[in-house]
Amino acid sequence: MTPSESAQLTNRIRKLRFEHGELTQQELADRVGVARQTIIALEAGKYAPSLLLAFRLAKTFGVKTEDVFQWDGQ
Amino acid sequence: MKQSIPLAPLQKVAWFNLIVFAIAVALYLMAVSFFEWHFHRTLGAASLNALGMFGVCGLWGFGVYFNYDRKRRAKANMDEREQLISLRASMVGFAIFCEIFVVLCMGVWAYLSYVRHQTTVPIGFLPFLVMLCTIVFVVTQSIAILVQYKRSAADDTL
Repeated sequence: MTPSESAQLTNRIRKLRFEHGELTQQELADRVGVARQTIIALEAGKYAPSLLLAFRLAKTFGVKTEDVFQWDGQ
Repeated sequence: MKQSIPLAPLQKVAWFNLIVFAIAVALYLMAVSFFEWHFHRTLGAASLNALGMFGVCGLWGFGVYFNYDRKRRAKANMDEREQLISLRASMVGFAIFCEIFVVLCMGVWAYLSYVRHQTTVPIGFLPFLVMLCTIVFVVTQSIAILVQYKRSAADDTL
């Protein structure tokens, strides 16, 4: 994924964290098995996750993957 | 709310490598001065003799112990993003390593054959070249790791 494509990938992780009992970044990182820095990078839109991590995040929040990640590209 | 982020194992290794390198450079500079003053060597001779101080860089091998993280045991110690950072840093380090290695190999050979009219490269030059290129690789890789972590950690709110 190129940097421009990565910029078109947005997510609602921060919003979903607060909707799910104000989960901290560390708690979410522990649940999905990544470092806290990775959650920070995801929320800042500086990292495009693998398909597996995207599914893990969606499962943690109990929503569909497309409810967590949106891609505006063509 | 802001909270400090503990260094990732990869960041600890990178910092450790840079600190060991800084110590090696400091020891080298001290050794050059010492050899000049105590043994009355010329600057060129003292500079060559003091190169042994870079043996301290062998401590880099202990950097692997930073990869053991009690808090993250039973989980992948490096997640997918950290693996990507490590891979990119290694690629940058390897590219610089190759460029410097080839330039120095060919540069020295060209200098010796065309300027000094020697047909062989002194054997003592080989370990120096390997050591220099290894140092360049590790230092470049460490800097690349730290830069990538820095770039993605701009927003650390909880």
